[in-house]
Amino acid sequence: MSGFLDSYASTITFMALTGVFAYSFYAVLMAGQLSLAQAGLASAAAFTSSLVVPAEPLFGVIPRLVVGIAVGMTVGAALAFLLGLPVMRLRGVFLAIATLAFGEVVRILLINQSWTGGAEGLSFPKLVGIPQAWLALAVVAYWFWRLGGSRLGRALAAIREDELAAKAMGIDVTRHRMMSFVTSGAVAGLYGVLLAHFVRFADPNAFGFSTAVEGLVTAVVGGTALFIGPLLGSVFLTALPELQRAIGVEAGWIRPFVSGLMLLLVILFLPGGLAALIPHRPGRVGHPDALPDLPPLPAAGTPIASLRAIRKDYGGVHAVHDVDLDIAASEIVGLIGPNGAGKTTLINIVSGLVPPTSGEGTVVGIPVGSGVPAHRIALAGVSRTFQQIKLFDRLSALDNVLVGAHRVSRPTLLRRLILLPSARRDERLALAQAFAQLTRVGLADRARQAAGDLPYGDQRRLEIARALAAHPTLLILDEPAAGMNHVEAHRLSVLIRGLADDGVTILLIEHNVRMVLETCTRVVVLDFGEVIAAGDPATVARDPRVVEAYLGAEDDGAESA
Amino acid sequence: MQQLLNGIFLGSIYALFAIGFTLVFGVLDRLNLAHSAVFSTSAFVGIELVARAGLSIWVTLPIIFVFGGVLGLVIERVAFRPLKGRHDAHFAGLISSIALGAMFLALLQAGFGPDTRRFPPDAFPQQRLEFAGAVVSVLQLVIVVVAFALMVGLTLMVSRSRLGRGMRAVAENPHAALVLGIDVDRITALTFALSSALGGVAGVLFALNVNSAQISMGSSIELKGLAVIIVGGLGSLPGAMLGGLLVGLAEVFAVTYVGSSWRDVIAFGLLFSILLLRPQGIFGARQVREI
Repeated sequence: MSGFLDSYASTITFMALTGVFAYSFYAVLMAGQLSLAQAGLASAAAFTSSLVVPAEPLFGVIPRLVVGIAVGMTVGAALAFLLGLPVMRLRGVFLAIATLAFGEVVRILLINQSWTGGAEGLSFPKLVGIPQAWLALAVVAYWFWRLGGSRLGRALAAIREDELAAKAMGIDVTRHRMMSFVTSGAVAGLYGVLLAHFVRFADPNAFGFSTAVEGLVTAVVGGTALFIGPLLGSVFLTALPELQRAIGVEAGWIRPFVSGLMLLLVILFLPGGLAALIPHRPGRVGHPDALPDLPPLPAAGTPIASLRAIRKDYGGVHAVHDVDLDIAASEIVGLIGPNGAGKTTLINIVSGLVPPTSGEGTVVGIPVGSGVPAHRIALAGVSRTFQQIKLFDRLSALDNVLVGAHRVSRPTLLRRLILLPSARRDERLALAQAFAQLTRVGLADRARQAAGDLPYGDQRRLEIARALAAHPTLLILDEPAAGMNHVEAHRLSVLIRGLADDGVTILLIEHNVRMVLETCTRVVVLDFGEVIAAGDPATVARDPRVVEAYLGAEDDGAESA
Repeated sequence: MQQLLNGIFLGSIYALFAIGFTLVFGVLDRLNLAHSAVFSTSAFVGIELVARAGLSIWVTLPIIFVFGGVLGLVIERVAFRPLKGRHDAHFAGLISSIALGAMFLALLQAGFGPDTRRFPPDAFPQQRLEFAGAVVSVLQLVIVVVAFALMVGLTLMVSRSRLGRGMRAVAENPHAALVLGIDVDRITALTFALSSALGGVAGVLFALNVNSAQISMGSSIELKGLAVIIVGGLGSLPGAMLGGLLVGLAEVFAVTYVGSSWRDVIAFGLLFSILLLRPQGIFGARQVREI
């Protein structure tokens, strides 16, 4: 055994280091972001550490490597933060290229400094071997393992799947993306320091584009949906060339060829990476008898939303024109009108996704158009569904609803890291809250299925369950019955009235006029951005202006809405 | 003046490389990272055709055009088509094209060894011309003319021809294009072929310009290519042309006035500021997809 360790010591250490580097990509990929700045960050961290690593243990007790790691991770995190400030508004390929450019600029800056040794490079003391490298990897892997089941981990997964829906669930998308960015920078810094103190030499050119690509490839081959992925990727990709050498493949070109081929096969035929080969452990489902204590909803009749002279113009188009709208607790307000009447614009204003051009009012106590971000309004108690279904497709139905419970659950990552039982208790409460909502909409037996695989009607109801999990004061439903037949629509109507009986205030947009009349306590009719009628369902249904808006003037010929 | 011309020569090669890069992105919304492998491979094959087969450069360039096109078809078939319909196709395409590119380079190494290759000394005209106080070789003029002819040809083709109309339809909405009876698979394959044909020619021109080719020559131009297509606006053909010239000029002037070790800071600094100030690029036709 010791002979094996000796002859492969370098490979085994590299395996751990590559794994650490892959986690720095995992940290951003799990939030759906592609950053390629890590090589530059690692390089900056490594060279900075060369300035501070003391010749003797600090104060006689703190090991030299620990000093280097602390400084390196701080440098990595701080640089990632500085980079994040301007680039956080970029997405996808743009983010990838901007971070890549940043990494390259760091490389060139370092090459032109004298303290880094420039292109000559710099020697480092040998402070890292198998134990240090694997310990570091274990700590990093542990972090991401505990992150996975925490509230923060779920929020990041939600952002990866659908940023807008995450925002509507009260998740501060910008802050969370920045957190994943900074985490990634810290881990990249750790890698840089470890690598330099293992190979005892570093030059800035060694941390270029191809290094970043290798780290990305390792993370992706391992899989980005499970914390173990980067570790698997690293073991696989580090061992592959060794295996080839062991079986006598020596030609210089065969190894890169086979590595490329394996990478191609994994990405084409194993979309979840190597981690997808690990059988999925079915999670526990909470007991509805242990529901969390939630604050009571406002008493019936309390004003929830009140809008005055709200107007929204898109160019010259008045999407919403001087609309007044009042909603009181426990009401079911129906918002109807022909296509293009301004219904969705209006509820986007109510839920804070779109600022009004003019007008004033408050929604759950927050002034409309005051620049309060949408997630703050969600946290204040406004939950919604979307006309175009926006579920977190690759998460299970239950996990979707758990994200909805973001508002009413507590952060658990730090307590999970030190295995406090209270963290598990809080997770169970959140799980129970989520499961109760699934049961409420009749999807309890679908809890484990991926949301994207559910039939259309179930997806609509799952969106409602997710919105309900936030224990909302005001629930906005944007065409929940779209695509349902009249039996399903009737069941939905019964469900909605039940919610109102439980004290939830509801704003319902729907094209199915019969369902609106049967469900709502009050109906508001919009046409060309203006309120043309409002009142109880029976009155509104008889209003000639409504009939005209829906059916056209008599000599227009009837056209069904 | 000499610097200006040198910048234009270098820039026209960057532009030719980038225009193929950006074509695939503009039409298909995919970033093909095997593009640089096509660049290197074509340069080696081009040198081989001239050195071994004794072909003239005028015969070699069209052959390389076709050769690059074939590589493009392979890339599309192997690295991109299997991903069709996958939710992570965008991302997986980056990785699968990196993988296939690495395989191309490995095969290149198998075929030609790891050494730098050069054209035979008498492979192309050596005359030099005096132009407004600057010296220009005929070779450099050839490079600029070929690069611009191809770029203008491509732009005309996309805006005028039936194939170009198909490409623009696919770029706008592949589903709608399919419904309208456009063979989306064929358009996709042809887009890759054209893109790689241009990348291949760019490789040979680059090798002519510096009279050498290394296996690693693609990776630095890949970064430049990314810079160029962002500066010009992702998916914009005139943007890639102008962006290429801009980056080429910036580089040449940076070497002259700031020092060669800072050369790349200019390109990437430019890239970074464009991304922050005007993410759609100078000619960006396409909105940044928010959310």
